[in-house]
Amino acid sequence: MKIHLHRFGLLPIGCALGLALAQPVAAVTDEEFNALKDVVGKQGQRMDQLEQTHQQDQKTHEQDQQTIQKLQQQVGETQQIATNAIQKAEAAQVQPVHPIPPGPASTHNFMVVGDAEVQFGKVQGQHSAFAMADFAPIFLFRANDNVLFEAGFDVTLQNGSQPGGGSSTHVDLSFAQLDYLFNDYITFVGGDILLPLGTYSERTAGWLNKIPDDPLARGFVPGSGIGMQLRGAVPIGQSGQSLTYAVFGVNGPSSLDTNGLASNLDLGGNVGDTGNWHSNPSGGGRIGWFFPWKPHYDVELGVSGQSGEWDNAGSHLWSAAVLDAAVHISPFFEVKGEFINSWYGTDDSGNVHARGGWVQAGYKLAGLDLDYPVINNLELVSRYDRVDDGLGTRTDRCTLGYVYYFSNTLLFEGDYEFVHSRGPAALPSNEFVFQLSYGF
Amino acid sequence: MNSLRSLKPRLQGGILLATILALACAMSIGIVLADDAKAPAAKPLSPPPPAPEKTSATKPEKPALKKVTGAELYQIHCNRCHPERYATEWNSGEWKTLMTHMRVRANLPPAQAKQILKYLQEDSGN
Repeated sequence: MKIHLHRFGLLPIGCALGLALAQPVAAVTDEEFNALKDVVGKQGQRMDQLEQTHQQDQKTHEQDQQTIQKLQQQVGETQQIATNAIQKAEAAQVQPVHPIPPGPASTHNFMVVGDAEVQFGKVQGQHSAFAMADFAPIFLFRANDNVLFEAGFDVTLQNGSQPGGGSSTHVDLSFAQLDYLFNDYITFVGGDILLPLGTYSERTAGWLNKIPDDPLARGFVPGSGIGMQLRGAVPIGQSGQSLTYAVFGVNGPSSLDTNGLASNLDLGGNVGDTGNWHSNPSGGGRIGWFFPWKPHYDVELGVSGQSGEWDNAGSHLWSAAVLDAAVHISPFFEVKGEFINSWYGTDDSGNVHARGGWVQAGYKLAGLDLDYPVINNLELVSRYDRVDDGLGTRTDRCTLGYVYYFSNTLLFEGDYEFVHSRGPAALPSNEFVFQLSYGF
Repeated sequence: MNSLRSLKPRLQGGILLATILALACAMSIGIVLADDAKAPAAKPLSPPPPAPEKTSATKPEKPALKKVTGAELYQIHCNRCHPERYATEWNSGEWKTLMTHMRVRANLPPAQAKQILKYLQEDSGN
């Protein structure tokens, strides 16, 4: 019983304690509730607003994306248009049927070069006189990279024939040839061609020759002929050395009077306007070797020849062989020359052996380094000629002269020729010549 | 006490086994060391033998040929027959015509003529 009473006694005490400990919740007033309700309501409204803003932003973003896509599409279309335009422009440039050759503009080109000389001279036994020695224009027409047409004239004045007097103009076609460059090694030349017998005829001009008169032995070979030629050069190494060749066929020398008399030999005629005077053409060629060991130091050697019928009957041959040489030692000194040997059969004189040679030297006084203006523009020249025409006339000529260079193209030359000639066709002895020569 | 007694033969067996293993290792180490001592020393790397000397039978090297420039070719060729013409006297197109003329007249190798032309055109100024 004590235990039960003890237990029952604890129970109310526990309840009492529980009741005492259990704090009553604070009472929420209506005002507070309403305030809280307002806050919640406002929060809800705020949430709605934010949600609406978000939806609007999303729509705006979608619109921006669409705009960006449209702009990208437009940019792509613009680029395509530009590309098409460029392609069209390039295509338009390629339209020409014939490709435009590379290099400087103008496929065609026409030029006039040449020279002119006026002389004052005196031959022993004659009066001194001025003479319009030569006006020699050269016309160059380049059709394209491989075709060149060139022609040279010599225009001179002569006294008019008596009794009218006055003067007459003589025009000589010195050469007129078509050059076609097949390839790097073969060039075709056709027409009235300069003949490669030696080098003088190909490299002569009034302003190039340092002595006004031509070498005597050049009279034994023709300077030009009507025909065709193949020529070219083969380089050797990289130093400028080369081998050159030329092979040609021309109508060749002919007879002035159809027959084979020695005096009728005509080296410059037979141009073919009435056919070749004799039945067969004349052929020949030249082989040359050029070796420079440095600029202004070089040597050139060549051997050339020609042979063919000359009389109308074709009974006699005319032949020639030429050895040529040139040496340059420094920019100031040069020596060159030719040996010409010709022989031909005749009706009256048997085999005629006309031969001769010349050697010419020149020294520019600028090589002395004297620093005098007149001296530096002066070149001393000399030439020795010796010829035998094979018909009894022999000539030795020694020429001493000078060249004064007003410029690289305006030359004042003077020389005195000591001539010793004997035989039926002996030349006048001694003469002096002054010449003003201009190259253009 | 009884457990200790039972361990004695085992201990003795273990000690014997360890002794045998130690002896085997020692013997192996000794054999290896002995082999190293007997092997000869490794040869050091020797340089490659020198190239054989060139005999007269082999071709000597030729010095490289100096290639001539356009300006030098101009000096070589364009002063042989006439005074030099200045590059400024004509324009590029005219030089092309003139060099074609000179290539034929002087029988110039084409490569050299082209080099001279290039030099003149570059210096012509037009």
